[in-house]
Amino acid sequence: MSHGHPSVSIIGLPESGKTTLLAAIWHMVREPGSVTALKFDGLNQGNYEHLNGLAKRWRAAKKQQRTQTSGLKVVRMNLKNDVGKSIEISFPDMPGEDFSRMWEKRELDESMGDMLSAEAIVLLINGDTIKFPTWIVEQNAIAKGAGLPPENAEVVEWSAELAPTQVQVVELLQFLMSSELSVGPRRLAVLISAWDEVKGDGMDPEEVLKVKLPLLDQYLRSRRDPWTWHVWGVSAQGGAYEDQDNGEQLEETEALRQLDRPSDRIQVVDGKKVSTDITQPLNWLIG
Amino acid sequence: MAVPQKNCSNEDCNYRVDGKCVEGYALEECPHISSILVEEIEEIEEPESAPEANPIISLFLGEALSREKASELQRKSRSRAVSIVGPADAGKTSLVASIFDLFQKGPFATFNFAGSSTLIGFEKVCHDARAASRRDAPHMERTIAGAEATFFHLDLLSAQSDLVSLFISDRSGEDYLAAADDISRADEFFELRRADVVTLLVNGEHLTMSENRHEVKATTPQIVDALVEAEALRQGGRLAVVLTKQDSVVASPHTVRVQKEFDEIVDAIIQHHGEYFSDIGRFSIAASPREAEEVKRGEGVDNLLRYWLLAAKTPTASRSTESGSTRMIDLLDSFVKEAT
Repeated sequence: MSHGHPSVSIIGLPESGKTTLLAAIWHMVREPGSVTALKFDGLNQGNYEHLNGLAKRWRAAKKQQRTQTSGLKVVRMNLKNDVGKSIEISFPDMPGEDFSRMWEKRELDESMGDMLSAEAIVLLINGDTIKFPTWIVEQNAIAKGAGLPPENAEVVEWSAELAPTQVQVVELLQFLMSSELSVGPRRLAVLISAWDEVKGDGMDPEEVLKVKLPLLDQYLRSRRDPWTWHVWGVSAQGGAYEDQDNGEQLEETEALRQLDRPSDRIQVVDGKKVSTDITQPLNWLIG
Repeated sequence: MAVPQKNCSNEDCNYRVDGKCVEGYALEECPHISSILVEEIEEIEEPESAPEANPIISLFLGEALSREKASELQRKSRSRAVSIVGPADAGKTSLVASIFDLFQKGPFATFNFAGSSTLIGFEKVCHDARAASRRDAPHMERTIAGAEATFFHLDLLSAQSDLVSLFISDRSGEDYLAAADDISRADEFFELRRADVVTLLVNGEHLTMSENRHEVKATTPQIVDALVEAEALRQGGRLAVVLTKQDSVVASPHTVRVQKEFDEIVDAIIQHHGEYFSDIGRFSIAASPREAEEVKRGEGVDNLLRYWLLAAKTPTASRSTESGSTRMIDLLDSFVKEAT
């Protein structure tokens, strides 16, 4: 799959921001004057229509269209690092539904299996939509404390999609280390996306992982599976983008458009350090 | 001239072009005219080529493991096998579910979650105690009677030790009870013979109820008698006797009596089978309480988990039990001292 070049698989459940990340990277490495660890190193004979389309919507601050479930795309970028070494990185652009299918149906297409054979993995988790388990007994205690009557709702039978985010993500990583998909030790960049929504909690990315995704945090720290990992907080948009296909217009989006440089919307948080360099995780992954 | 929108099946007829019947029929009398509009006829699209089936990779199912699969995994790493024995409604499924769910909030009982090959199995048993089920009280499905035992799997890591794989067997309580009536049934309990710790559940809620308490007191030791008699339990293994549903016990007016009767049950087992096991420990838990006011969710489960994961030792703890110390912390201390 790598064809001699680093290949980075971007994985994540639906709506975790995979396509937005690709769009932001592609814009930023080509934005004149931007300061990034990895820089644009020219076009080759590839077709950039897909990437350009993504970047165009991103610059316009429009929500990306959902990644189509048919016709998996591999996008390639020619980049160079700080010592001028050329690197072609390929990213399979896979829809989040395919990762849900892995959890719920316990299967994937062989073509997707090939795309998941990269030794470098970007795992995106939408920090604003983490589904955490809650327990009846604790919910009842809160309701009782608030003087609320017990809810008289219809019982919901078990189904796989009800599982907490951290359980689904742990399974996804276990799949990548299972005999069916294992390629040996891998590097993993955990990106907690929608950081603009998460940062209000006052935690750095490692603390968010520990507090909001404790099962995943324990799994990674145990090192049962050979992941070399690091965690960042990332806001590839900087705020809400309009769903213009539905005629949405937001003041917040307009404010983002008013920034002089689109890359100023980006926030990348590593520990306490904040920057706009969205190539940092990639540079770490292929370093 | 408007072209009629009906079809004529007569190939010699120009009705579609000029609206006249070649045989001179009036439109409503013509036997060749179809009443179906052309637009209503669906076009059948011939596929250009049959779509190629995309080969599928099947991933591990994540359900509770079969005997064979559990054995395969057990051979790969240091492991502990635990069997939970008890009548229906004693709280087996609640206990299994609570152990997994307690790790959802962070490290538990000094152990860290390191992985599991049975996440789907855990999620299924956890569901009915979670708010997502929309139930007004925690509920647990019974394990199906007559089905072969399966195994839940957790890889755990403590700060002091290497990785250990925990395998918790799951079999219907009715099946274990049946062994008290017919000890030949115990032959099928393969999971008990391989268990490092057999965990016998005593339904605390039933001990609070006048209708059930004597039955609990009578049948609990009988289950152990039958399993020992049938040699279904590994000699030299450990036995944990667990008073479940501590929330019901604490909420009842008979708390002291229940504790006393539970102690008598354990003492009777120690008296009859103390030599058979390397240790017999006693525990109280509230794996999935209905109310969180008196006891917290998972209370006592941490002590039980630590006991399960202790390294197999010589029968020192039995002596400590017999000498009068029934506090779990004393038992754990004795193991820790031996280990260091």
